Parts: sequence; C-alpha cells; structure tokens
Amino acid sequence: MFDKFNISNIVENDGVLISIVGYLVVFTSLLLLAIIITYFQKALQTQQRKKLKSLGHRAADSENLSISGEVSAAISTALYLHFEEKHDLENTVLTIKRVQRTYSPWSSKLYGLREIPKR
Amino acid sequence: MDGINQFIHFTGFANLTIEHVIMLCIGLVFIYLAIKKEYEPLLLVPIGFGILMGNIPFVENVGLQIGLYEEGSVLNYLYFGVMKGIYPPLIFLGIGAMTDFSALLSNPKLMLLGAAAQIGIFLTFMAALALGFTIEQAAAIGIIGGADGPTAIFLSSKLAPELLGAIAIAAYSYMALVPVIQPPIIKLLTSKEERQIKMKPPRAVTKLEKMSFPIVGLLLTTFISPGALPLLGMLFFGNMLKESGVTKRLADTAAKPLIDIVTILLGLTVGASTQATQFLTQESILIFVLGAISFMIATAGGVLFAKFMNLFLKKGDKLNPMIGAAGVSAVPDSARVVHTLGLAEDPSNYLLMHAMAPNVSGVIGSAVAAGILMGFLLKVF
Repeated sequence: MFDKFNISNIVENDGVLISIVGYLVVFTSLLLLAIIITYFQKALQTQQRKKLKSLGHRAADSENLSISGEVSAAISTALYLHFEEKHDLENTVLTIKRVQRTYSPWSSKLYGLREIPKR
Repeated sequence: MDGINQFIHFTGFANLTIEHVIMLCIGLVFIYLAIKKEYEPLLLVPIGFGILMGNIPFVENVGLQIGLYEEGSVLNYLYFGVMKGIYPPLIFLGIGAMTDFSALLSNPKLMLLGAAAQIGIFLTFMAALALGFTIEQAAAIGIIGGADGPTAIFLSSKLAPELLGAIAIAAYSYMALVPVIQPPIIKLLTSKEERQIKMKPPRAVTKLEKMSFPIVGLLLTTFISPGALPLLGMLFFGNMLKESGVTKRLADTAAKPLIDIVTILLGLTVGASTQATQFLTQESILIFVLGAISFMIATAGGVLFAKFMNLFLKKGDKLNPMIGAAGVSAVPDSARVVHTLGLAEDPSNYLLMHAMAPNVSGVIGSAVAAGILMGFLLKVF
C-alpha cells in the first residue's frame, strides 16, 4: 500500500510552496475579516456615542456601550412576562373539538409506531 | 430453459462477490450507528441505505440501466448533482439560512481558530503527495481535514472525480464520528484547569452588524479566493435571506425543505457511489487513513492555536482551548462535542455559543482553502 511513498514527491510537485501559501492566504483572509468586523463594531459604537451625547444621555461616557447576551435575554424575559400578565381576556375554550379523519392504512398511526404500547 | 438460466444469471445471488458482502456490512454498520448511537442520523441513514442500494449485485454494462455508474439510470441522473458539484452549494445555501453568526460577530478574534484548524488540509495534502497521489488527487484528499462534506465533494468533483465516492464517504464518516475522534485529542492537549476556563458571555449583536456580515464576508473572501464563490456565495446569500428580515419565506425554504431534499439526494447517491466493483481499492483505504489523520491534525491545530492565543490574552479574556477543536467546521457537531466536554468538567460552563464562532469560521476557512487549491491546480490554460 505504501510502495509509492516518496518524500521527494512533495518538493517535485511544489507541495510545500502550495501548502505554505495556501495556509497563509486562508489565515490572512479570516484575519482581515476579523479586523473589518472589529472596526465596523467600533465605528457603530462611536456613532451611537455621538447620538447619545447629543441627547445628553449619561451612558455616552460609559466604556462599553454594548450589552451582553445575558442582559438582553433578561430584559426580553421581563418584557414578555409583563405583557403576558397584562391581558384582560381569558382563554374560554371549554371543550376539545374532535377532529374527524377518514381512516386509511397508509397514514395509520398504529402502523407507524416502532414500539407497540404496553397495555 | 434458457430463460430460467438467464434469470438465475441476472439475480443478485449469482453475481455476489466478497466485496459486495463487505460493502453491505459497512452500509448496515452506518445505519446501526445512525439509529442506535444517533451519530449524524440525517447523513448516515441516507448514506448507509445508499451503500446497500449501490451494492446489490447485478450484471453490469448490459444495458439494464440500473447502477449508479450506468449512463441513463435513475441513480446516474441523481448522481449528476454530485459529479458536477451542484448539491454542495445548495447545502451551503441552507447552512447560511440556518446559521446565526452572532457569536462570531461578538468576538471576531475567534475567527482565527477556524483558520488555524485548516492546517489539517495542507499537511494531509503533502502526505498524500508523498504517498504517490497526483497533485489534484492530493488536494481533494487533503480537504477531508476541513471536515466539511459539501466542500470535499465540491473540490473532488472539480479536481479528482475518480476519487469522489471514497472522499465523500470518508468526509461524511469522520463528520459523523466527531464525538468519537475529537474528545481524546482535546483531552490529550489540554489540562483540567484549561478545560474549566469560563469565557465572557458574548455581547448582543446589532441587526445592522448581522446584515452587513454576509456582504462584507462575500466581498472579502471571494475576492481573495474566487474559486470558493459557488460555496461562499450561496452561504452568505442564505445568511442574507435570514438576516434581512424581509425574506422570511425564502430563508425558511432554504433552511428547511431545500436543504432536506438536497441532503436526501446527496446522501443516497454518495452512498450508492460506493459500488464494490469501483470502490474497494487500495486507494480508497489510503484515503480513509489520510482522512482520519487530516481530521486529527485539524482538531489538534485548533486546540493548540487557542492555547497560543491565551499567551497574549489578559486573565479575564482567556479562551477555553477546547473551543479550538470546533474550528474543523463540522457544524454543529464539533461545537456540541466541545460544549458537552465543558459541561463534564464544570456543569455551569456553557461553551456552545463560544464554540459556534470557530465552528462557522471553519466553514468559511475550509471553503476558502478549497478555492485556493482550485486556483492553484485547476487546469484552465
């Protein structure tokens, strides 16, 4: 299986060159993307800071304007609970409507079960 | 009597060889792993069943038009999407429409872990060259280390179509075996204290940032590596559909029915392409060995680079080096593996969101690597 093994094949086919250049290009492209995203985020923060300053908001002077995902999850949960409690109409469904379906062995639930329920 | 003889001659039993039996057993193992162990069932069930379908013995090349490699057969038509690299970009469209890049956008430096893990591709490329594969075949084999099935299929369909079946099966097998392959390597390269490092929770990302990312990402990566355009173009387009907020129907279609249909066709035909008469060769076995090595190097590369980054980071900003392993781009399995390992070390340490960042950047990185290899090796002039 390894009879064709020959380390010089790598050099003869420019394997080292392709690998080094290829890896560096992959690295550079993702590094550039990371740098652009970082500066884009900073630019957005600067713009937001200016806006807050013009409104005279105290938060404009804070070091980091962004909030963590945990804080926004907590705010969303609080808002959800608040609005859920505000409804004034109770759900008045008192009965369960039976849905009629024509029986067909092609869509029978029983035939689709992998384990027959124990009685 | 002649009719009976012909009928017997055409049955599977008359044409059965030991190679068919081996492949049928492999197909059954795939199905077993998918159902019993739940290793990537959405991939392994279609592939496993495809292996069974592709290895039913029959008399080949007499105009029956049954087999995947026989022109005019139904399976051959469905396989067209694999051979011409049509299915992989459609899978990327669905992945783009499903992926939330927030974790990556909130901590862009994690993108480097996705780049670091691509070392597996290039080291395996050199190993395959040394083993006597042609340069195009070596590149197609190396990409298995990206742990990205669609990318592996896309590149091998362009550079080494003769190895497509083996490469696709190897790539998908190792993707499914992420929970088995990665944990020992991660544990070997990290200390208990490192595995317990808690990372800062990611910040909330604005809608504008999310919408801009697919545009910036597309322009930057495809200008550097135009060969990756079919993959990255579709990935970022899918993400644009999701994040724009005005094309919910299209995003839903790409993320659900479309990707499901393509996965079925891709899995089944890739499985069926392992027809014993064409598949069981020494080359295929070597590809499997190289693929495993590639995957392990990629995992180790990501983990070691995370440790390297920690040397330059302040105490509160340190990375849990396990998330480097997620740079191999098997989305979302490797991130899930890292998360599970993190919970095993400390039940209050949730690493999933952090691991998703290198995981999605690994997808971008492996597609860029595929584009670069195409740029080097595709004979166009």
